[in-house]
Amino acid sequence: MTNLLEIHDLHARIVGGRDILKGINLTIKAGEVHAIMGPNGAGKSTLSSVLAGKPGYEVTLGHVLYQGHELASLGPDERARQGIFLAFQYPVEISGVNNMYFLRAALNAVRKQRGEAELDAAQFLKAVKAKLSLLDISEDLLKRAVNVGFSGGEKKRNEIFQMAMLEPALAILDETDSGLDIDALRAVANGVNRLRDPGRAIVMITHYQRLLDYIEPDFVHVLSDGKIVASGDKTLAMDLEERGYAHLASAA
Amino acid sequence: MTIVKSETTPYLAAYQAAIDTTEPTWLRVRRAAAIEQFSVLGFPTRRDEAWRFTNLRRLTKAPMPPAHPATSLPDPDAGVIESLRLAGRVCRLVLNNSAVVAAQSSGVDLPAGAWFGSIAEALETRPDLLKAAFATTDPAGNQPFAALNEALFTGGFLLALAPGVSFDAPFEIIHVNTDAASHPRCAILLGEGASATVMEHFTGSGAGWNNIVTCVDLGVGAKLHHVKLQTESPAAIHLAQTRATLAQAASYDSTVLSFGALLSREDIQVVLAGEMADFTLNGGYFLGGQQEATFAPFVEHRVPGCSSRQLVKGVIGGQAHGVFLGTIAVRPGADQTDARQTNRNLLLNAGTSVDTKPELEILADDVKCSHGATVGDLDDSALFYLQARGIDAATARRMLIGGFAADIIDASGAGETIRQHLHRHLSVWLEHLP
Ligand SMILES: Nc1ncnc2c1ncn2[C@@H]1O[C@H](COP(=O)(O)OP(=O)(O)O)[C@@H](O)[C@H]1O
Ligand SMILES: [Mg+2]
Repeated sequence: MTNLLEIHDLHARIVGGRDILKGINLTIKAGEVHAIMGPNGAGKSTLSSVLAGKPGYEVTLGHVLYQGHELASLGPDERARQGIFLAFQYPVEISGVNNMYFLRAALNAVRKQRGEAELDAAQFLKAVKAKLSLLDISEDLLKRAVNVGFSGGEKKRNEIFQMAMLEPALAILDETDSGLDIDALRAVANGVNRLRDPGRAIVMITHYQRLLDYIEPDFVHVLSDGKIVASGDKTLAMDLEERGYAHLASAA
Repeated sequence: MTIVKSETTPYLAAYQAAIDTTEPTWLRVRRAAAIEQFSVLGFPTRRDEAWRFTNLRRLTKAPMPPAHPATSLPDPDAGVIESLRLAGRVCRLVLNNSAVVAAQSSGVDLPAGAWFGSIAEALETRPDLLKAAFATTDPAGNQPFAALNEALFTGGFLLALAPGVSFDAPFEIIHVNTDAASHPRCAILLGEGASATVMEHFTGSGAGWNNIVTCVDLGVGAKLHHVKLQTESPAAIHLAQTRATLAQAASYDSTVLSFGALLSREDIQVVLAGEMADFTLNGGYFLGGQQEATFAPFVEHRVPGCSSRQLVKGVIGGQAHGVFLGTIAVRPGADQTDARQTNRNLLLNAGTSVDTKPELEILADDVKCSHGATVGDLDDSALFYLQARGIDAATARRMLIGGFAADIIDASGAGETIRQHLHRHLSVWLEHLP
């Protein structure tokens, strides 16, 4: 089986800055769930931004293969259409743009890429209803402008809802658990668990072990100062819970 | 002895050639006073504070007096008009360089006490209404373009609803302009408790000049939804003055969207003359290329307890120039005034410019007034968010710009059909963005 994502010695920085990622190696296969943990400032969001193609970042060394192809040459929208999905740590509020209108445009762009027919308003609504019941999201959220006036928890749920609609091959969840109370965390985790699929890889970025109680990863990696300093199974996360990141960082 | 400004001579000649002795005396007196005023004032210059950002060179360089006798211009293409008009039941007047095009206009049965038609027809059959329209508003008010309009107008429309009359279908006026100079005079007179929705669409071709004056007079408790959509030819000059007077508890909901014309200006002068009167303006200018547009609302609170809200947004691309000169004037005694004014501008690229001057003049106590202006670019993080969902950059940009402007359309109380109509025009404009 081919690898979905291969990260080779990836060094990256904000344009003009100094390297934030300092040599990341990581291989992810379809069907796997990976957790990337690490202290604040380790470079977790930078890694997700680089993978999603956020402007303003540059790769200074190394490279990334997605489905066997160089990722660097693709713009952020092309990556999304080819199945990479980033659930934002801070989802952006977009006033005046209706959530449903936006999501239908996104879904149709992705479907077009996959060679599927675009959905009209009625078909789209049907698809939305099916996923809503899966995720326990109030329909009311969809009538509002994208993320505008959403609570922290609603924003995160909306991200997972978008993921459910777009059915990506690679989902990167950047601190989807942060700022959630326990009920919201459960709802989001349930949503993610239902989206686990043999054809889909999920990368969960978090700095709390808490999320992993609800979504059990196949692999856990520790990112510290721009490098993966430890990898293991879920027992690594438990270990971290007890002993903290400090000893790993110094070991690196 | 008064000094006549030399640039006004061709207009004086046009006025003299057009003097019509069959017109009622009161109107001829008004016209004579107006042309005299214009000849003394001349065109505004950049030394006039209110015009310092407006480039009138094209008008002043080569005079554009109306032709006399008025050349008969071919009727606008029926297919074009059909594509422009509102759907559904509408009372429609199509004006070709301010003269009515009967074949493309269509009436519906108006209730008793309602009159809707061209200015020329009003002059013939209801001069009393026309006189009322002139009686309630200031004469040209020392404003050269309004004076010139008063001296030279031959067409336009008049809508008058007697007290208590309301009409559920919109009145639609499609103004088509070609290469000519045109001076439409328009009036909307609503008696006590009357209510109406008026949709005006200005469109056309060529490099004409449209100099419009619209008088709005709202009686006690009258309600007007007034929408203006300006999509004139990219070479046209469009100068418009709206003068509204609101009696007690009257409400004036105005939406003005400017997409067209090389040079355009909206002077919107509103007097809140009766207590509890309410004025709302939602405006937008959407500019590209070398376009220049000015919005100059002047809202005067004369009596206590009135409210006004203005939200004017600009989207500026190309090398275009947007200007907002807004004033809220709260006169002595107009206590408990509640007035707000906001101008927001979105610059699409380098090379655009905007001048924004929201102003407050407050001479009363216990008032709630606010004003503000912003100038910004598209939000990069929003752009990335949309792209990260698969939406291409150009579509994402259009979505954000449309989102920025959407609320000025959504806030209109003119009804869903008209709001959709405006949204369609906005979409078309967005589609053509480079
Ligand atoms: N916009 C930015 N400009 C400059 N430095 C940044 C910016 N964003 C993040 N950084 C720096 O990059 C490093 C990694 O940040 P980030 O990837 O957000 O870490 P994490 O998500 O693991 O908390 C930190 O040192 C942070 O200060
Ligand atoms: Mg982060």
